[in-house]
Amino acid sequence: MELSVFDLSKYLGVVPETIERWVRQGKLPVSQKGINYRFHTKELQKWADKHNICLNLSDKKRPEKGKESIVPLSIAVENGGIHFNVPGNDVKSVLEASIKRISAIPDDFKTDLLARLVQREQALSTGVGNGIAIPHPREQLRYLHDSIVSISFLANPVDYKALDSKPVSILFFILCPALKIHLHLLSALSFCLRNHEFINFLNSRPDPDQLIEEIEILQNTNPI
Amino acid sequence: MSKIKNWYKTIYHRLFHLDDRLLLIVAGSIAGICSGLAAVALRLSLESVLEWLHPLRHYWWAFVLPAVGALLSSFYLEKIAREGAGHGVPEVIYSVSRYGGLLRFRSSYSRLISSFLTIGSGGSAGPEAPVVMSGSAIGSNLAKFLGLNDRQRITLVGCGTAGAIASIFNAPIAGLVFSIEVLLGEWKFVNIIPIAIAAVAGAQVSQAIIPEQVLFIHQPFDIMFADIPASLGLAIMTALISVVFTKTLRKVGKFSQKNSLPLWVRAIIGGSTVGLIGISMPLVLGEGYHFIQSMISDTFSLGIFLTFVAIFAKIFATAMTLGWGGSGGIFAPCLVIGSLTGIAFHKTLFFFLPSVGCASQGAYALLGMTGIISGVMQAPLTGIFLIVEITGGYEAILPLILVSSISSTMSQYLEPASFYFKELMERGQFMRPGTDARILSDLSLKELIDINYVKVSENMVFRDFINIIKRSEQNFFPVIEDETQVYKGVIQINAIRKYALDPDMYDMVFLNQIMDTEVITVSLEEDLLDVIDRMDLHNMDNIPVVENERFIGMIAKTKILDLYRRELIMQTDIK
Repeated sequence: MELSVFDLSKYLGVVPETIERWVRQGKLPVSQKGINYRFHTKELQKWADKHNICLNLSDKKRPEKGKESIVPLSIAVENGGIHFNVPGNDVKSVLEASIKRISAIPDDFKTDLLARLVQREQALSTGVGNGIAIPHPREQLRYLHDSIVSISFLANPVDYKALDSKPVSILFFILCPALKIHLHLLSALSFCLRNHEFINFLNSRPDPDQLIEEIEILQNTNPI
Repeated sequence: MSKIKNWYKTIYHRLFHLDDRLLLIVAGSIAGICSGLAAVALRLSLESVLEWLHPLRHYWWAFVLPAVGALLSSFYLEKIAREGAGHGVPEVIYSVSRYGGLLRFRSSYSRLISSFLTIGSGGSAGPEAPVVMSGSAIGSNLAKFLGLNDRQRITLVGCGTAGAIASIFNAPIAGLVFSIEVLLGEWKFVNIIPIAIAAVAGAQVSQAIIPEQVLFIHQPFDIMFADIPASLGLAIMTALISVVFTKTLRKVGKFSQKNSLPLWVRAIIGGSTVGLIGISMPLVLGEGYHFIQSMISDTFSLGIFLTFVAIFAKIFATAMTLGWGGSGGIFAPCLVIGSLTGIAFHKTLFFFLPSVGCASQGAYALLGMTGIISGVMQAPLTGIFLIVEITGGYEAILPLILVSSISSTMSQYLEPASFYFKELMERGQFMRPGTDARILSDLSLKELIDINYVKVSENMVFRDFINIIKRSEQNFFPVIEDETQVYKGVIQINAIRKYALDPDMYDMVFLNQIMDTEVITVSLEEDLLDVIDRMDLHNMDNIPVVENERFIGMIAKTKILDLYRRELIMQTDIK
């Protein structure tokens, strides 16, 4: 098999100019000189072995950093579901009632998840103000298949020790199998919650389909 | 006693402050004389044991003699001297490149004894590698005694080697060239003068003690025109035989290592095989100097076919001796095989072209030696100068250069590493000065590591972390567990830029949620070469060093490049 300067530059991770200089200086085995240099893979492999150079000609693509599939916020909300009139008088009871309604969480893990969420709230309240809180665990939840964001509209506002001390009536649960997606969803959500119109829209307790549509429109305006 | 010490100190300081070269020349000549003495001692004792054992060779059980020798030799090396078998030259080369030529004192005599047992009893091996080991150990220990640094010690190791080779062949230039070409691998002025003087000193010792150099009497060498095309043919033949020799040595050695026989059984099997071959073909036994002598002086009387058989018998016998527990080198076997090859070629030539006007058989034996030395050791200059010195003139220089260069080039094409370097290359220990491997092995992770890193707790809130970033220039933050200080992961500022610019995130996130836990880490003991390979493989510019679950520091590519360049300048600086 023969390679061109451009191919070889990709394999070696250098620019074609470097390859040309090496050929000129007689450091690379070249099979055809002239304007278009050609290289034999066999000779190259021998050359690389001799010089202790890591050269893998068999697979062309270097292992690129695996891009995690980024889940858009609207899809995550669809996965998690939107629940109305969630009962409860304090932080723990509203969290428990909400978790019960999220069908994506296996029943065996529900108590564990509650403990984690409560622990997280004790460390630092997730109430971001404007009557909204974003409960989430600090660890990744490996048992989940998809990342989910579940919205709970509370029956009674609860004192959540939020930053602005306002009672909380809307909970956004962020539950992810991986921390990277968690950060992405958190960032996307906080972008939405910066929008006052959206908060007013939320406070009107909209229809689930409408809400998801609104999130979709909003997330498309997110520059990140 | 204190007076002597003071006296020594004054002399030493005067010498040392005057010029480091003077000291090296004086110390080098001492090393040359001592290693010359060692070489002479081994040669004389081999000659006397040969005479002593000669009457025994006529008995039918004489074939066990090499077995007994190999057994004693391997027992001595394993149990008493506690050194590995083999010929020792790769060990010396490795020590020169890795440990500044540091060798144990016992190496200066252990190989002499073991190879005396092997070769004296009839094993097919050479005394040169053992005297090289011994000479270099003498040089190294002399340097240790004088308190010299690594660079000076390496020069003295070279001096010892040159003295030993010069003494055993009575060939000072061959000693100098071998020492620099094979052992040190760099032609530096600071090295050449002391080594040359040591080589001459070694040769003089040998001449003084053995007035009649029976080894190689200077031969007249009449080169005709027809010898030039003929030497091309000989070069090709020696290259092929060299490759066969190198491959057989390695194959037989590996086969012996693979089977799980105890050492003494191996030594007996190897020795007896050599003994059995020796019954029908006595020229395979011992170091073979006398046979070389007879071949050079045209008194060799085997036919074409038997000469060819003898080449392969000697190759096999040497492989059985060295691979199965005996101790010794390949230099003398190379000479025997080389002269046999030369004679075989000469006989073949005359068989087909009876009227061709070529030089004598002895001349071809010498050319063949050059070819095999150049091919097996891939040291063409050593081959040329050894024969030039043996023939005592430059009449034969043209065919010598032809044979030597063609043979070394061809065998290098077929077998890229020489017999001495192959082992080292396989273990990744072949490190000539100024090469990448050498620089990377000289630099340790401790020199490269940056330990000035602020660590952060995994329970820290993102907002506090942002405040740290504001005041810090660090690009990486190691994250540790609060109580145990165990390393958990790393935060790369580049990776969290997106979140750092989003104030809504500040109170929502703890550091354990944004740290990267899958970063590859290394420990302090690892080789720099492995570390760099790993960084290349994962496209990293910085890699954390973690030892016993504790974060130690980071290694940056920029720092590696910086030190690498300085090290390269230091190593290739020619004074």
